[in-house]
Amino acid sequence: MDRSTSSGSNNKVFEIPIPGSRTLVEAELVDCVAWLIRLRWFVGVGVLLGTWGMGALFGLHAPVVPLYAIGAGILAYNLAFYLVERGFTQTSAGTIAFRRLSVWQAVLDWLAMTMLIHFSGGIESPMIFFFIFHIIIASIFFSPRTAFGFSILAAALLSGTALLEYYGILVHIPIVGFLDMPLYQNSLYIAAVLFFFTSTGLFSAYLASSIQERLRRREEEIIRLSEDLQRATVRLQTLNDGARVINSTLDLPEVLQRFVRNTVEAMGVRACSIRLLNKETQILEPVAVNGLSQAYLNKGPVDAATNPVARRVLGGEVINIPDAPNSTLLQYPEEARQEGIRSVLSAPLLGKSGPLGILRAYAVEPGRFSREDEAFLIAIAAQGSIAIENALAFKAIEELDLAKSQFIRTVTHELRSPVSVVHSLLRTMTTGYAGQVSDQQMDILSRASRRVDYLQKLIDDLLDLAVGKADFWKSEMFEPVDIKAAVKKVVTRFEPISQEKGLLIEFLDETSPGVTRVLATQDGIDRIFNNLVSNAVKYTPPGGRVTTKLSILGDKARVMVEDTGIGIPDEAMDHLFEEFYRAPNARNVEREGTGLGLTIARDLVLRFGGSIQVERLQGAGSRFIVNLPVAAPS
Amino acid sequence: MSQKRILLIDDDPDLRLALRLPLEASGYAIFEAGSVVEARTAVKEIKPDLIVLDVMMDTTTAGFQFALELHNADPRSEFNEFSQVPIIMLTAIHSTTPLRFAPDEDYLPVQTFIEKPIDPAILLTKVRQFLGEEVT
Repeated sequence: MDRSTSSGSNNKVFEIPIPGSRTLVEAELVDCVAWLIRLRWFVGVGVLLGTWGMGALFGLHAPVVPLYAIGAGILAYNLAFYLVERGFTQTSAGTIAFRRLSVWQAVLDWLAMTMLIHFSGGIESPMIFFFIFHIIIASIFFSPRTAFGFSILAAALLSGTALLEYYGILVHIPIVGFLDMPLYQNSLYIAAVLFFFTSTGLFSAYLASSIQERLRRREEEIIRLSEDLQRATVRLQTLNDGARVINSTLDLPEVLQRFVRNTVEAMGVRACSIRLLNKETQILEPVAVNGLSQAYLNKGPVDAATNPVARRVLGGEVINIPDAPNSTLLQYPEEARQEGIRSVLSAPLLGKSGPLGILRAYAVEPGRFSREDEAFLIAIAAQGSIAIENALAFKAIEELDLAKSQFIRTVTHELRSPVSVVHSLLRTMTTGYAGQVSDQQMDILSRASRRVDYLQKLIDDLLDLAVGKADFWKSEMFEPVDIKAAVKKVVTRFEPISQEKGLLIEFLDETSPGVTRVLATQDGIDRIFNNLVSNAVKYTPPGGRVTTKLSILGDKARVMVEDTGIGIPDEAMDHLFEEFYRAPNARNVEREGTGLGLTIARDLVLRFGGSIQVERLQGAGSRFIVNLPVAAPS
Repeated sequence: MSQKRILLIDDDPDLRLALRLPLEASGYAIFEAGSVVEARTAVKEIKPDLIVLDVMMDTTTAGFQFALELHNADPRSEFNEFSQVPIIMLTAIHSTTPLRFAPDEDYLPVQTFIEKPIDPAILLTKVRQFLGEEVT
């Protein structure tokens, strides 16, 4: 029905939505058959009424039995046609069945017509004009040649009847009272009627056929246009869907893969590929492909500097190659021939700062791509360029962040060792193992030691932070961690210091008995709750309470760390999880804090697929809520 | 009772000093080795009662490999006579270090771990524990 559908696997996109997958032309034929059947009910009834009226109203006498029989016959075979047609429609029968049905209709109609003429006076019958209707109907249904054939057949049937009656071979059955003198043996009259009937029939066939032909052409044009329109709608839809899908991710390989797949579907072509320009080597590297063999992809490098098509496309041109195997433009025409590719359409992927690469569509038919296809590929390429550029930018940011984290890791690892030695040495003095020191010296050493302590903690936190950011913990390193045991261990760790400070510290387990595991790392979980509980203990004045509660909420394990501490000021709420941020009131409690604890906790929680929130409690105090997905039982 | 002999193996002289001071003050005879190579000879000469070994020296696992060498169960090993000498391993292992071990794992050739920075009290407690002395 259309060249774009013959490409094989992708017809689906262009299918015209008509039940039983008929084209519009075929649907017309089906409609016409049904229309004729509806019309014939009136003809049958008309013959019956006419026969009755002839005697009752006009006092004419004709053999009514055959005429009634013909009328009933027409209604009977029309009923048969009606049932058959309904059956065809229900089973979505093919066009051939409908065409065959229309031929049968013509045969029976013409037989009925001829008999009707014979029983209403032959050549004298006033009904011979009805034959003209049949000729017109045949012209509508069939080709002009067939229509002329039918008009000659009509003439032949009429003249046959007239001649047989003329020679007395067939009994002449006149309508008594219609004509004063019989004309069926008047040869001049017969000749005149036959001549004018034949010429009228032929002329009607000619007129009807010509008009029908023009209508048919126009109709076909309309059908073609509406099919084009539907195809365009489908394309636009695909383009639109594509934009949504492509822009719904920032993952570059995913973006590219969706992009080529969408293009293949939207254009109904064999294959699509994206090559991105490597700015250093000037090689166009295939990064996403749909529908091409590995052998074709390995055909050889596409150098932006030497490949003629690539150079022009990267310059902003669309290149349409209608006969790829014989193209002088293509660098690899032979490979295209082996791959079965005949047409290639290339459009540039243009970013804000220059060409990104090439989008290519491949088809198995020669000369497959039209102007509309070129415009479409440009549109789709422009859309893709934005998505690709976004993904590239995102990738660059991620790489930068990773590099930053790795740098921090390296630096802090290097810092850690000397600081820990200084720390160790200072301790030998503060503990008195390096000989007696004066009170003043001891005071100085203690201050230095405290600062080194802080430095050590800062380094450790920075390292944790860098690790949380870096892709250090791959999810395959995650293990099922018993969350109850892990949280309880942290709370137990803070019991001595809480007692010393005069705090009530408690762990409430609201889960049902049994082990609840989350997919994480033991250290990571420990670190998260160590940071939260240590904050709670640190920022809660003596006499207060620190409560850690574990519960299960659907498929999440929820840990809440609540305190009756100094609380979180308004202005701090939005910044609490930011790196190095410390709430003003926290500074009053502890001068030296790294401001990294909550950032680390949040990074880890996110890495384990969970979420963390903070709430202010009435009066004073705060509540940190951590939700972690429960691991599926192994 | 004769003075117990402790061999400190660490490539950082400052850290060796930080270890030496509290141990000497507690009456132990302290010997030092600055590398695994030095340590191989030193062990045979000194015949220590206990070894304090840094896990990371030339490579991240040099100390670990030396501990394996020393505690080799093979009777033909040149260090066979030292296979029962307790080893305390010093670690500065942060949660990000790729090599992780926990002291409760059976196959590890060391008796315990001490984390850097060194806390003299913890060091002395562990040394006494593995020398079979009363912990006061």
